[in-house]
Amino acid sequence: MAGAIIENMSTKKLCIVGGILLIFQVIAFLVGGLIAPDPTAAVPYMAAKCIDLQKNHHKTKWFIPWGPNQCDKLRYLDEAVNRQIEANDIVFAIHIPLPKNEMSPWFQFILCILHMDIAFKTNNQIKENAKVSLDVSLGYRDDTVSEWTEMAHAVETRKLNCTFGAPKTVEHEGKFYDCDFLPFMEIGTVAHKYYLLNIRLPVNEKAGVNVGIGEIKDIRLVGIHQNGGFTKVWFAMKTFLTPSIFIIMIWYWKRITQMTRPPVLLEKIIFALGISMTFINIPVEWFSIGFDWTWMLLFGDIRQGIFYAMLLSFWIIFCGEHMMDQNERNHFSSYWKQVGPIAIGSFCLFAFDMCERGVQLKNPFYSIWATDIGTELAMAFIIVAGICLCLYFLFLCFMVFQVFRNISCKQSSLPAMSKVRRLHYEGLIFRFRFLMLITLACAAMTVIFFIFSQVTEGHWKWGDFTFHWNSAFFTGIYGMWNLYVFALMFLYAPSHKNYGDDQSNGDLGVNTGEEFQLTTTITHVDGPTQVYKLARKEAHE
Amino acid sequence: MQSWISLPLNGWAFLLGLPITSSLTWGPGRWGLCCVPHRYLAKISSAGSISEEETCEKLKGLIQRQVQMCKRNLEVMDSVRRGAQLAIEECQFQFRNRRWNCSTLESLPVFGKVVTQGTREAAFVYAISSAGVAFAVTRACSSGELEKCGCDHTVHGVSPQGFQWSGCSDNIAYGVAFSQSFVDVRERSKGASSSRALMNLHNNEAGRKAILNHMRVECKCHGVSGSCEVKTCWKAMPPFRKVGNVLKEKFDGATEVEQRKIGSTKVLVPKNSQFKPHTDEDLVYLDSSPDFCDHDLKNGVLGTNGRHCNKTSKAIDGCELMCCGRGFHTDEVEVVERCSCKFHWCCFVKCKQCHRVVEMHTCR
Repeated sequence: MAGAIIENMSTKKLCIVGGILLIFQVIAFLVGGLIAPDPTAAVPYMAAKCIDLQKNHHKTKWFIPWGPNQCDKLRYLDEAVNRQIEANDIVFAIHIPLPKNEMSPWFQFILCILHMDIAFKTNNQIKENAKVSLDVSLGYRDDTVSEWTEMAHAVETRKLNCTFGAPKTVEHEGKFYDCDFLPFMEIGTVAHKYYLLNIRLPVNEKAGVNVGIGEIKDIRLVGIHQNGGFTKVWFAMKTFLTPSIFIIMIWYWKRITQMTRPPVLLEKIIFALGISMTFINIPVEWFSIGFDWTWMLLFGDIRQGIFYAMLLSFWIIFCGEHMMDQNERNHFSSYWKQVGPIAIGSFCLFAFDMCERGVQLKNPFYSIWATDIGTELAMAFIIVAGICLCLYFLFLCFMVFQVFRNISCKQSSLPAMSKVRRLHYEGLIFRFRFLMLITLACAAMTVIFFIFSQVTEGHWKWGDFTFHWNSAFFTGIYGMWNLYVFALMFLYAPSHKNYGDDQSNGDLGVNTGEEFQLTTTITHVDGPTQVYKLARKEAHE
Repeated sequence: MQSWISLPLNGWAFLLGLPITSSLTWGPGRWGLCCVPHRYLAKISSAGSISEEETCEKLKGLIQRQVQMCKRNLEVMDSVRRGAQLAIEECQFQFRNRRWNCSTLESLPVFGKVVTQGTREAAFVYAISSAGVAFAVTRACSSGELEKCGCDHTVHGVSPQGFQWSGCSDNIAYGVAFSQSFVDVRERSKGASSSRALMNLHNNEAGRKAILNHMRVECKCHGVSGSCEVKTCWKAMPPFRKVGNVLKEKFDGATEVEQRKIGSTKVLVPKNSQFKPHTDEDLVYLDSSPDFCDHDLKNGVLGTNGRHCNKTSKAIDGCELMCCGRGFHTDEVEVVERCSCKFHWCCFVKCKQCHRVVEMHTCR
């Protein structure tokens, strides 16, 4: 057995494989750009200012901003003074979606942020560190006539972070403060057609609740959801990718088990990468169309996290196993220094996610950023994760540098070899570098597309035909990493070629020995000790 | 007395003429900022809304095509009216310290008779009015008051699959399109060849551009663990005060133009060829403005007689300039002010009353 498929494949075949993968990559990119709409849509809402005329403030009563049974509304809050309406009598009502539309399970999630229009008044300014306290209830119904059912109710406080862009003088009265928007609500499934939000800002002077928050003119809300069209394209893509990766994974594992020796670390990690990719691919989201599973968003995060951790670990081990020095690795434990930061970083992000999205399963209005302790905790998690990531990349860069240094050392001894062996070596080095290059290209592509999709406008238009960059980014990058894993499993599977040759042919035995040094543990037949003996012999010579 | 130039708001008469006429019959000197909104808004809210097709026929100042549009878009008409009110309020705020203070009068013909002047002031009023309509319609869309808006794909043909496939287009697009078709139709129906029509169309568009070019882009990251892997951005309308400020700046730097024939089309070009040609956002005017100093009903100028002025200021609100050198009276007036107030975020003010003697300067 002479090693992995990549070593035994001719350049021509390698090019063909590369070409086919490239075609799939382009298809993945175009599917997102041309078929799918933008990934998410943001709908602006303006809260209606309903008057709660019952003085006892029934919590069960819902206020509907428009349509039949709509509430008694104020157009401007200034009107309230004359009508002797107080702050506690005002309910801000928002109906999601806007008239004539229906929400759908294809939207996957709804995320809302809140914006307050606060006018500057010299004698009613926003106090420092002002906090606004919101009494919110969320209701739903599935047809236009039935009663609203309460989904969640909470009293939340949010920090008001406002600046005033002009001198605080009488001339600038009436100008609005520039306020940061407030994170407001997140629900992980859209199982109902209509949602209704009722927001109160109760004032309690003694307890200092909602005092010193300026003169609120309006409350605006922006509702973000995934576009149904994008969800459909995304699901279709996942459904198509799952069997492709799954089949190649089975094939890969079969090849490995066919060998006489137990699988080595690199083979195992590639297999694990395949499993985590399949785990992401499996379109369990289909269930969200039929079931009200609120944890889907969190589950998606966890799956992505596992894949990222796997990918990062794979790179480290890939480099380590190609180090071509005399250290024996082939054990997960010998990589603790590099894998440790990944584990800690992933755990931090997982903890952060549980604190934010995990709690949101219970209370959709919860935000970890709303309190000081929460903000500090969240920042701590994120900073530790960031440090781990930096540490990891330092290790990775150092290892890549070492590998290339070792390769160039080997290259300098190339001219002394015979022509056949030299050509063979050069080919091997080329292919190894080629794979390194592909990895770098994939990473670079991800970064470039990410930056590009952040900078550029969502879509470009040529006549009737629109290209959605954001969607193309998602499907393209997702497809790319799938193809990457696919290619890895295909090219690094043990090859059948030359099987038995190395045993019968004595001359080739030496040849294979030298080959081992490039791809070390993957290819060895007689176990690592034999290889390292050979390698050392070579080094002494 | 307030000074005024006949508002070139011929087409807007209906907005002021119908249910809210009474709210605009302020006497002189009541434009003080403190007291406008409450009275004004309270009256509007109690006024009836435009809810029947017949009401469209009764609206004064509409041309036939606008009446048809009114009938077809009844639900939008309230927003149009609100937009016009917003525009007038903003205009009066921006010009509160100038000789011409954007005042309106109760009797309707004043809008009708002297509208031939293509002054800077006219340019501003046209721009702020078309901006006001676009603004109010867009706002109404977000409040759910209108059913068409960004999701009505028959209007713009954005995406045939609709809301569930790709969401709705921006409401501002609808607001601007409606303002375009409703406000501009007056000038277009006259035949857009007269220099006045060209000026009005340009200024209408400049008003809408003042909103469009100052939309705030806001973004929210919501990827894995709240990272910016997934980011959604949207455009938020600027506050109308900002639109007013932008247009006031454009008013100060407005370009005087004249009509010229280039090829077969008539275009407006700067009168002074050394000036930079104006852009879409700039205001243009044809005639220079009067000085608004003296009472001259023939030209629709009331003069600054009776206006309050600021003794210490050297700017246009200073007594020197405001009173056009005629001098001013100084009276000592006792004003009752609210002081040491307690406020809630809405509707609750508890104040003491403070008496203060101030010097009030009034132009002769």
